[in-house]
Amino acid sequence: MAGRVIVHIDMNCFYASVEQVFDPSLKGKPIAIAGNPKERRGIIITCSYEARAFGVKTTMTVHEAKKLCPQLFILPPNFERYRHASKQFFQLLREYTELVEPVSIDESYIDISDLCTNRHAMEIVKEIQQRIYSELLLPCSLGVAPNKFLAKTASDMKKPMGITVLRKRDIAEKLWPLPVIAMHGVGKKTANKLATIGITTIEQLAKVEEHKIRQLLGINGERLKARANGQDNRQVDPDSIYDTKSVGNSTTLPRDETDYKALQMIMKQLSAKVAERLKAKRLAGTTVTIYIRDADWHNQTRSKSVKNAIANETEIFEIAWALFMKHWDESPVRLLGVTVSNVTDQQHVTQQLGLFDLEEQIKDEPIVELMQQLERKFGKGAVKRGLTAPVQGKYQANTSFSKDFLDDFDVIQRKSPPL
Amino acid sequence: MKFDIMRDRLLAGLNDVMKAVSSKTTIPILTGIKIDVTHEGLHLTGSDADITIQTFIPVEENGEQLINVSATGSIVLQARMFNEIVRKLPTNDVEIEVSAGFATNIRSGKSEFHLIGLDASEYPLLPEVAADRQFSMPADLLKSVIRETVFAVATSESRPVLTGVNWKILDNELICVATDSHRLARRKIQLEQLPAEINSVVIPGKSLNELNKILEDTTDLVQIALTNYHVLFKTDDVLFFSRLLEGNYPDTSRLIPEEYKTNVTINGKALLQAIDRASLLAREDRNNVVRFETLENNTVEISSNSPEIGKVEEQISVENLEGEALKISFSAKYMMEALRAIDGQDVIIQFTGTMRPFILRSIHDDAILQLILPVRTY
Repeated sequence: MAGRVIVHIDMNCFYASVEQVFDPSLKGKPIAIAGNPKERRGIIITCSYEARAFGVKTTMTVHEAKKLCPQLFILPPNFERYRHASKQFFQLLREYTELVEPVSIDESYIDISDLCTNRHAMEIVKEIQQRIYSELLLPCSLGVAPNKFLAKTASDMKKPMGITVLRKRDIAEKLWPLPVIAMHGVGKKTANKLATIGITTIEQLAKVEEHKIRQLLGINGERLKARANGQDNRQVDPDSIYDTKSVGNSTTLPRDETDYKALQMIMKQLSAKVAERLKAKRLAGTTVTIYIRDADWHNQTRSKSVKNAIANETEIFEIAWALFMKHWDESPVRLLGVTVSNVTDQQHVTQQLGLFDLEEQIKDEPIVELMQQLERKFGKGAVKRGLTAPVQGKYQANTSFSKDFLDDFDVIQRKSPPL
Repeated sequence: MKFDIMRDRLLAGLNDVMKAVSSKTTIPILTGIKIDVTHEGLHLTGSDADITIQTFIPVEENGEQLINVSATGSIVLQARMFNEIVRKLPTNDVEIEVSAGFATNIRSGKSEFHLIGLDASEYPLLPEVAADRQFSMPADLLKSVIRETVFAVATSESRPVLTGVNWKILDNELICVATDSHRLARRKIQLEQLPAEINSVVIPGKSLNELNKILEDTTDLVQIALTNYHVLFKTDDVLFFSRLLEGNYPDTSRLIPEEYKTNVTINGKALLQAIDRASLLAREDRNNVVRFETLENNTVEISSNSPEIGKVEEQISVENLEGEALKISFSAKYMMEALRAIDGQDVIIQFTGTMRPFILRSIHDDAILQLILPVRTY
């Protein structure tokens, strides 16, 4: 792994930039993407640099933002547009190398080591930035480094339209003076913990004694110390994003809800969304988890596991609703969520048959028998059951954290597995 | 109340009744054990409202005096505490005396405990069981009947009646059935003098498991009495009451196939070991699936395949193989439990297709029948 060249590419104010491309009259104006305040989703998801100049920040309420910047343009999110732009972005990156690892809808690592034998790395990254800007009209920042951690750190250093090279020898000068909270992978909680042993800068973290950090943060502590020293041996893995572990949806209710019919309705919708996304990914799972947040922000998580992996709306809803009825204390509900986890590819799913519902479970027995006969006669794989084309769901990617936006690539890149 | 007793006998009796005592009871007095002393002997009673166990220790046994009763009476003592105390007493002679109120003194050697007891009249009465609907069977037979069926009861409460074993009497035969809806165990026993007027009861699996622990592996007869709500198992010195489960047990007789397309006679032990090996690569979250496939020349293949772990294949020869070729997947756990219940000898496995229930039984008869539903793979 000597001398890798890893690039982290971060689209600047992605949603806002896409909106400005879509409606050029918004260019140069302070705009923000936010949910509907009437439905209590009035939180700024992202905003343009022009808005940032006024102090507008992500996660502010629309109300707070308008105070700082009365002329702020508020736009509702249009995920279809962002998905489309994201798709073009990743396609462009793939023209350079197969080693593209999407991190989220607007962020990616690429490994260009092999390209650097013929061309200089800086020449390549400049070209990538220029092409994204001229072909997609979108600004982005790039970090160039020998590993993922440094690349990610570097891309953060100059925004917008920056290119930052971070070599290992630069660490002491560029990274170490910063407070630990600025380090990727250190959040508020970790920073507070580190403060208890007197660590406030990245330099202190880099030089902390191994056993001390291990005692405080365990294996993650050792990892952070290594990163602070510029060590990170994670590879760029184009498939890592496809390892879906769970599929879940949640929603904040327009008002604190106590009506059980209304809650049932919402639970049904959430189950339908989850089912649709599972279907699009050809997954099924054995654990259903529900989230309940009440008006006082008390969060409750409850889950149930079943024998046979499930993927359809009715089954998900039945379990989710039973869990809800069992654990809901009738206090007003602010947010509801449903997640299916322990997921596996539907082709690996097994179904333990039951004595009392056998007839229902094996309705299709004659077809299966016929197929077996044909296989015996013509060899394995001679017939296959209706190969279903991957389903394009209408409920996809609705936050930048969701990885569903990749399902499009999924379809292009991976051949349908035999059923 | 005042008596002297041999510590080891008291401990043996306590050991049995403690099996019925639960710390999770909602009735406070049931956290205690009731002690009744008469001139005949000592009764100990423990209960969790579902199961009630009473043991009897006679004053005298085979000419040996076990208890010396000075004054008769009753008291309820905290079960866990009393049991621990008796276990740790310094000598084999124990004197228990209830003085003023419910204050109880336990003396052994130079050790003396003062325990605060509870009023025995508050303790629930034993269920009343009429003597007419009774039958009996040897303890060792009863134990194997339990062992061969109870493992198949449902563990989830989604259909409470399936957490019990269904006992019914039909033409001088006792038929015991347990199923969790994925597999079924059935045991038939010919017994003499079976009462005719009992149709069907469901005994909680948990009760049978506890009973199995208490019964000794002897040929001594166990009297079994049934009422509409309770069952009583009675040996010389133990009464074991269990509440019955309410609700209709599903009719399972029609669910057992009558005609079969593939018959395999195989050494049960060899198959059990092969399945056990194959199950090492089966995943619990995928129903522990192993595959079973008939090959030519009296051979079957057992295999398991988990894409992210690896795979295993093993061929075993069978005594006899007739009928259609077959590939079937099933839970290794269910198969192993069924084979253990039939116990090692040659078994016949009869299939009716990849997605249909199949049965296992001994080559001699169908006194023990195990039915398993396969796992569908896609």
